[in-house]
Amino acid sequence: MKVATKSFLVVLLALVCTAPFSFAQTPAPPAATAPSATPSVIPAPVPKPILDSDLANVPVPSAEVRAKGDPDGSLTGNASDVTVSDPQKGLRIGDLVNQVGQNKIAINFVWTLITGYLVMFMQLGFALLETGLARAKNANHTMMMNVAVYGVGMFAYWLIGFAIQMGGVGAVANLGGTAPLSAEFTATLFGKPFGLFGQHGMFLMHKGTYDVGVMVLFLFQMVFMDTGATIPTGAAVERWKFSAFLITSFLFAAFTYPLFANWAWGGGWLANLGANFGLGKGYCDFAGSGVVHAVGGLSALAIAMILGPRIGKFSREGRPQVILAHDIVMVLTGCLILAFGWFGFNPGSTLGASGNGGLRISSIAVNTMLASATGLIGAMLYMWIVYKKPDASMTGNGFLAGLVAITAPSGFVNPVGAAIIGLIAGVLVCLSVGFVERVMQIDDPVGAVSVHGTCGLWGVISLGLFADGKSNYGGSWNGVNGSVTGLFYGDAGQLVAQLIGVATLLGFVFSLSLIFGIVVDLLVGQRTSAKSELEGLDLPEMGAIAYPEFELKSPS
Amino acid sequence: MILIGILVTLAGFVLSVLSLAATSSVAGRLTMVLAGMAISLFGILGLLNKAFLKNAVWKKG
Repeated sequence: MKVATKSFLVVLLALVCTAPFSFAQTPAPPAATAPSATPSVIPAPVPKPILDSDLANVPVPSAEVRAKGDPDGSLTGNASDVTVSDPQKGLRIGDLVNQVGQNKIAINFVWTLITGYLVMFMQLGFALLETGLARAKNANHTMMMNVAVYGVGMFAYWLIGFAIQMGGVGAVANLGGTAPLSAEFTATLFGKPFGLFGQHGMFLMHKGTYDVGVMVLFLFQMVFMDTGATIPTGAAVERWKFSAFLITSFLFAAFTYPLFANWAWGGGWLANLGANFGLGKGYCDFAGSGVVHAVGGLSALAIAMILGPRIGKFSREGRPQVILAHDIVMVLTGCLILAFGWFGFNPGSTLGASGNGGLRISSIAVNTMLASATGLIGAMLYMWIVYKKPDASMTGNGFLAGLVAITAPSGFVNPVGAAIIGLIAGVLVCLSVGFVERVMQIDDPVGAVSVHGTCGLWGVISLGLFADGKSNYGGSWNGVNGSVTGLFYGDAGQLVAQLIGVATLLGFVFSLSLIFGIVVDLLVGQRTSAKSELEGLDLPEMGAIAYPEFELKSPS
Repeated sequence: MILIGILVTLAGFVLSVLSLAATSSVAGRLTMVLAGMAISLFGILGLLNKAFLKNAVWKKG
């Protein structure tokens, strides 16, 4: 300790001694120099126009050289690989320009497809998370819901959902056009056109939509929809009749999700609040805190209300009881997989890496990481301080809450804004879980309503506060020139546009989900019998239990 | 009660949309939208949730 103190004093002394010299080392004024002659400016050479004839002499490796192989990669990829439109005339400038254009679109296709595959991988994360939080006697049923929703949701979306959502979006420049998606049904309200739903694209064949750009857009949007469709299964775990789940998921993918997604992303009325009513750049939702997560979370709330709580979740007096998760390892593995998939969700929403601000993918990815970290920290510390332990499942929920919240603003905020948004989400999710369970007396076994609903809405609002006006995706957004700017950076109108989106989610999307849920309840019944629920849904609903060896070894 | 709850929830949404025509001031629109959100939340929490809780499984024998 003494040595450390002495060392500290020596260093301090050295600093004090050198300080005057340091302070003296202010930049000296520039020495007076003899006036020189006018600085010589070397004019930039005027580029010589490249002619078609110049391209004829571009060296390419001969066939004999190529036949020997190319171990260092210096010969592969050259002028001979550029597609030539007229072999008689050889390589021309027009061929080069076309190749450059196709390369740009190819980069964007590959980027969007690969990030779409990452989003598809999130299905596994949801499956593990929800199954882990359920009891072992419901593992097969919960896992099957997460698998089946992928197929059923995709089928409904292919039939009609995609057309409703994107049938009138028009040309998506990053994907080279998507021109066939050109018919939006609009109604005139307050003297302005209100886009309500798209009309082209059913079966991906209708009205010229058998198109490579449309296919990329379909794949990417489909996995987003499926992410939303899998959220209600979490709130309905352990008591949802499988047939009712299938019909509800079909309706979600065909109508509920595509309608709101059209209004926000497909050229609908919410997106045009800026162009038509001067509210910022219109409703903005970069990757779907509102479109995907709040829609899913509010649908989950509607289903959870209709189903009611599991047997044993509340005492006779209405006090919530703990029903333990059967595999916390599965839960946290699911959370990590979801966080990995989110690198497809948010950066992929640029729909390209080349052109129109595509290089913002780096900023979006970092914002995504930061918000997940602060969300995790916020929830973990909250649980540690309030309940004396850093609860694993709530820490996982905080991790996801940060990601859900940053999804909408990820493309428009700076890293500090992202960190704050995530931190607030991490605490908010803990408060919301308590509110849903104790005040609303709703049984939401995985916290889907809070993670996706509450934090999804927070994400939408946070964009209206923290968007810093520095993003530039081709000079405009939703048809309004300039960058998206929130209240804290000077545009209160953007916050109003975001709040109209929130009001639409609460008022319209929730009501529609509830009406669909009630209709399905009347048709086939939403809830399983009490006998099946007590036995566990694996055998009565699915015909097989998830862990037969485990059951055999059980003392009971 | 459920039908009334749905209508009230939808009414909040309608009020928010009407703010677009009722005024062009940002503050006026903000006020109307916040009022619309409050009405929708009342419909969900105060009416619909209570209506569904009446038949909650833990309240039965």
